Amino acid sequence: MNQEMEFKNIVAQYSKVKPEEMTGEMRFREDLGFTSLDFMSFLGELEDTFDIELEETEVTKITTLEEALKLLEELQ
Amino acid sequence: MLIRDILEESVQKFGEVKAVKWLNRKEILERSYSEMMKNVISTRKGLLAEGFEGKHIALIGTSSIEWIESYLGIITGCTTAVPLDAALPCEELIDLINRSDSEALFLSPKHRPYLEAFLANCPKLQKVWMLQEEVEDVPADTYSISELRNSGKNAEGDASCPDAEDIATIIFTSGTTGKSKGVMLTQNNLASNVEAVKISAEPGTAMLSVLPIHHAFCLVMDWLKGFSQGATLCINDSLLHMIRNMSIFKPDIMLMVPMMIETIYKRLAAADPSIPKAVLAEKVFGGKLHTIFTGGAHLDPYYIDCFAEYGIQILEGYGMSECSPVISNNTPENNKPGSIGRPLENVEIRFEDGEILVKGTSVMKGYYQMPRETEETLKDGWLHTGDKGYIDKDGYLFINGRVKNLIILSNGENVSPEEIENKLALNPLVGEVIVTGEDNGLTARIYPEQAVVEAKALDTEMIRSQLQAFLDEYNKNQPTYRRITGLVIRKNPFIRSTTKKIRRQDVLVDEPQA
Repeated sequence: MNQEMEFKNIVAQYSKVKPEEMTGEMRFREDLGFTSLDFMSFLGELEDTFDIELEETEVTKITTLEEALKLLEELQ
Repeated sequence: MLIRDILEESVQKFGEVKAVKWLNRKEILERSYSEMMKNVISTRKGLLAEGFEGKHIALIGTSSIEWIESYLGIITGCTTAVPLDAALPCEELIDLINRSDSEALFLSPKHRPYLEAFLANCPKLQKVWMLQEEVEDVPADTYSISELRNSGKNAEGDASCPDAEDIATIIFTSGTTGKSKGVMLTQNNLASNVEAVKISAEPGTAMLSVLPIHHAFCLVMDWLKGFSQGATLCINDSLLHMIRNMSIFKPDIMLMVPMMIETIYKRLAAADPSIPKAVLAEKVFGGKLHTIFTGGAHLDPYYIDCFAEYGIQILEGYGMSECSPVISNNTPENNKPGSIGRPLENVEIRFEDGEILVKGTSVMKGYYQMPRETEETLKDGWLHTGDKGYIDKDGYLFINGRVKNLIILSNGENVSPEEIENKLALNPLVGEVIVTGEDNGLTARIYPEQAVVEAKALDTEMIRSQLQAFLDEYNKNQPTYRRITGLVIRKNPFIRSTTKKIRRQDVLVDEPQA
């Protein structure tokens, strides 16, 4: 499974939107139905899955799938 | 009974049991009850030696061993602790330090960038102790906690025991008038709440503390109640790592707000159905978790049944900061899912027009420096909760509505819509505004100021983009729970009552969407 697909599968755990229907501009809160805690838990899962470390102050700026995916790529 | 008595008894009974565990990167550090008590006593003696007896002392920081030892050092002596929300912007913290008349401050290293602003804008503030062992490059009047403790170790005198009616702590809570209110809780308020909640745990029971420590629910029920039982309190270093930390600390018991339960449920529900529930429970909850106490907001009873399938009992309770905080709770022995449990034995309850009124030893002394608000909430010793409810034939309490306008989010945060509306109304393009809580977030419903719209010839798109830009700017400085995530631009002014007040109950009905 490629990284983007793995990423979307993690997103799908918290959302009713299916991975294949997700697009980069979708916003976690408004379009994917994440609560603030879903978002934190999701980021924790990203850390564990992709072996990265996220700064809480940095991640609060992320609103869309594209931004999160870009950050993930930068940190690897 | 005082918190000091409870703590001393625990140290005597559980001296070598681990009181606190926390992470330093990947290493688990720990401190026993007797080791912790040494720091509590030296902090208490240090505060006395430095002349802070009878003074108010603020704390800003997330959960840490240094935070809780300092807090206990304050409240076991004759000083008053003022724990503040570490997520608030700098200017709001300055306002709360000033309004609480705090003369000293314990500050987490993360908040070091705010230090100069606090010293410059809080005239009563005499000393700051950073919640760390050593400090470098700090302004005058700023020290490390080690320096305070050393001053205590070298001092002869110890603070005398506070009086049961002395104010132990002031906890700020959202106000309906637009200003947060400082709830004054006495020594007896805190101790009687710890005693009245009939939950027992074996010494060394692991509790993972995931709620913000400045909240009464976390402070009293995780920490003070946990310490009274000889429990080991494990610190969750970040909400990002709650699940990971459950695997690391393997808690037996946790306190959560409903939003946390909902988030964990999503992960359980998304798992491959072929994985046995016991295996999944071990992966997600660490393998030992048997009880979750929840409160602060409504929980759908559906989750109670769902978690039971994984061997976890969810027990719901009810409380508010003004009641130190627990008013009623379900226990393993007396549990009715869907209810918020039976009232504690130190609590009397009656109803006035459906509103729950509470009297008892856990009820606050009042709001600090707010006599009018105190009078409105405390009448003849009865606390008006703002919640509507009833008691069933078996003595279980149920909630079925609210009297006041507070928005209760499922993360347990109480948000005052008026407080936010007052700030948003400062923008000239905002004619009328009402903030509502929907889908666990806040929505601003704005009727644009028509004079501005006409003068600038703004079309619908321009109005939306200007208001959205304004909200984005406002959100930047707000804690997550106070950010506005939805915007509805109204075509018509809000419907008003005969007294010209906006009818809040109608705002979701007449123009639900833009």
